[in-house]
Amino acid sequence: MTDGGPSGAPGLAVPRGQSWRADVLLAAQALARPVPEAQGGATSDLSVDEVLLLHSIGWEPVDLVFGSSVASTPPAAWGWGQGEIVVASESWDIAFRGALHRLVGECARVDGFGVVGVQIDTEIERLHTDVELVGTAVRPIAKAGQKVAQQLGRPFASDLSARDYALLVQTGWRPVGLAFGASFVNVPRRSVSTTISQKGQNVELTNFTEAMYTAREAAMSRLQDSAVSMDAGGIVDVSISEGPMVFARHAIGFTAWGTAIVPGPEGHRHLEPKMVLPLDDLQVTFQATALRQQGGEVES
Amino acid sequence: MTGVTPPPASGAVGPADAGLPEAAERRLQSDAFSSHLTIPDFGACLNMGLRPVGLVQGFCTMQWAWYGAGSPYLRGLNPWAPSNQYRGIYSESYQCPHAIYTYSNEHRTWGQNYEQPWVEEAWTQGYGAAFERMVTEAVDLGAHGVIGISHRIHHLSDTPVTEFHLLGTAVVVEGGPAPSGGRPWTTFLSGQRLGKLFEAGFAPVSVAAALSSVRVWAYCVTEFLMEGGTASWVTQYSGRQMGQTQWTYGPREVEQVSSAHMAARDLVRRAVRNQLGGDTLHGASIDMVKRELGSGDSVIECTLFGTRVRRFKDFDPMAPPTPTVRLS
Repeated sequence: MTDGGPSGAPGLAVPRGQSWRADVLLAAQALARPVPEAQGGATSDLSVDEVLLLHSIGWEPVDLVFGSSVASTPPAAWGWGQGEIVVASESWDIAFRGALHRLVGECARVDGFGVVGVQIDTEIERLHTDVELVGTAVRPIAKAGQKVAQQLGRPFASDLSARDYALLVQTGWRPVGLAFGASFVNVPRRSVSTTISQKGQNVELTNFTEAMYTAREAAMSRLQDSAVSMDAGGIVDVSISEGPMVFARHAIGFTAWGTAIVPGPEGHRHLEPKMVLPLDDLQVTFQATALRQQGGEVES
Repeated sequence: MTGVTPPPASGAVGPADAGLPEAAERRLQSDAFSSHLTIPDFGACLNMGLRPVGLVQGFCTMQWAWYGAGSPYLRGLNPWAPSNQYRGIYSESYQCPHAIYTYSNEHRTWGQNYEQPWVEEAWTQGYGAAFERMVTEAVDLGAHGVIGISHRIHHLSDTPVTEFHLLGTAVVVEGGPAPSGGRPWTTFLSGQRLGKLFEAGFAPVSVAAALSSVRVWAYCVTEFLMEGGTASWVTQYSGRQMGQTQWTYGPREVEQVSSAHMAARDLVRRAVRNQLGGDTLHGASIDMVKRELGSGDSVIECTLFGTRVRRFKDFDPMAPPTPTVRLS
């Protein structure tokens, strides 16, 4: 199907122009024939590269799936206090869990074995938390039509791109689900004497540092607990966001999510990548404006 | 090979119906082609045997009407108002669970999520008209396809007016037959990505696009929760206490709003699926816009774009790619 060496994109080979031309003519002939319109059709948000890579490991996209959830947060949560803001952490957990449940449910409904490339969008507002998940359900080509329960027990969800998923499968691992955790913590007020003594000094604000550590530990513990609940061996590609809330600067939030993975029956496989040394010339950037300057130099 | 189709009763006027403006026809008859392809895309197209013949464009400007109180449509004021308008396929009602209490007129005893097909139809009319005008230019050029389509949808100033602008490069397949019905195929892809699509065994058929709009009229529970309420009556739908209503505390999922979000995405997926005719949507891009109108009321709009593709040769997977490490 393809030949040639590696292209700029790691792991993809460049096809021949002649091969493309023949394919285009075949496609033009196919489009010249009227085809009776059928009902429905599959949808996918994967790129061409991702479809090719999925095909190379024997998988195919099934349908675009999504999950949404909105959970309430009491306004009193963001008042001054100490320790974790439990109701805010619970609100985030309810929203994420609800959205994930719906995403996986949609995947099972279309007989997908899992969802890859899940885009995660979370909004933490003062009075509610919104979580939106969108991804493409995928399945092994050879097992099209089979129920996921026969193979994995339940569909997995992963925020790995289809490219990373294909690479993960080559290493002998597979995803089992999205692991997630969050914590929101109050930054305690400094005492009057501490505030006065620190005024005008370059000092560490230990109340902020400690709050950040508290939030981080709680969120990371929940992240790992959710992975353990799926019998995962580890979590990869963990995304973290942290910082004070826009509407309550005295509250620190820490959220984390990643893909929980387990080794396959054959265990880990070494990739043994090939070393390549491109022989391209260094790119020369030509600046037309440089000609107007004295001595007009060309930067390389 | 239909793409984005404006509603039949659109009443669209202008270039799509009257043909191309004279100046446009003169420009398109020029010997030199125009295109918005980058040099790498241009090179890849020539490599595939696609010859650019012209930069084609389509415009449509739509005014958005007021649908609320005082509008001739009486839309949005009362979802149950009698009307001969198409009401869409999605509607959910929510009933107040506080029947044992006496409440004031301000207490929202009902709530509803419903599809707003009049907004969806207007959007489809605007996008569809701009798309058809672009395709008309391509037909005049004798093109077989339009590649690298991009669009811009934006409000003009701060008025309720939206402009749709589509543009792409019309191409001819060297030595290839004209597409079925003489209507060019269309795609968002160009250059190397388009080449890889052909190599994967898929032919681009048409651009697919749709918008869904869902209005949320909050009932008392949704209003209470979206204002930060944490304690309320909850009816158990499963378990030993099924059917019982209990007073519960703590953060809760706002079911009405969550359901509206899911419905908006489902509706736009259905709308695009209806344009596929059994083919596949490739490279979908889904976006959502929420407008909170206060006290739990909101409008949720989703757009979905992608290229409808059709398999033209048997499945032929490439070998698993070889991982490489680049030395520099």
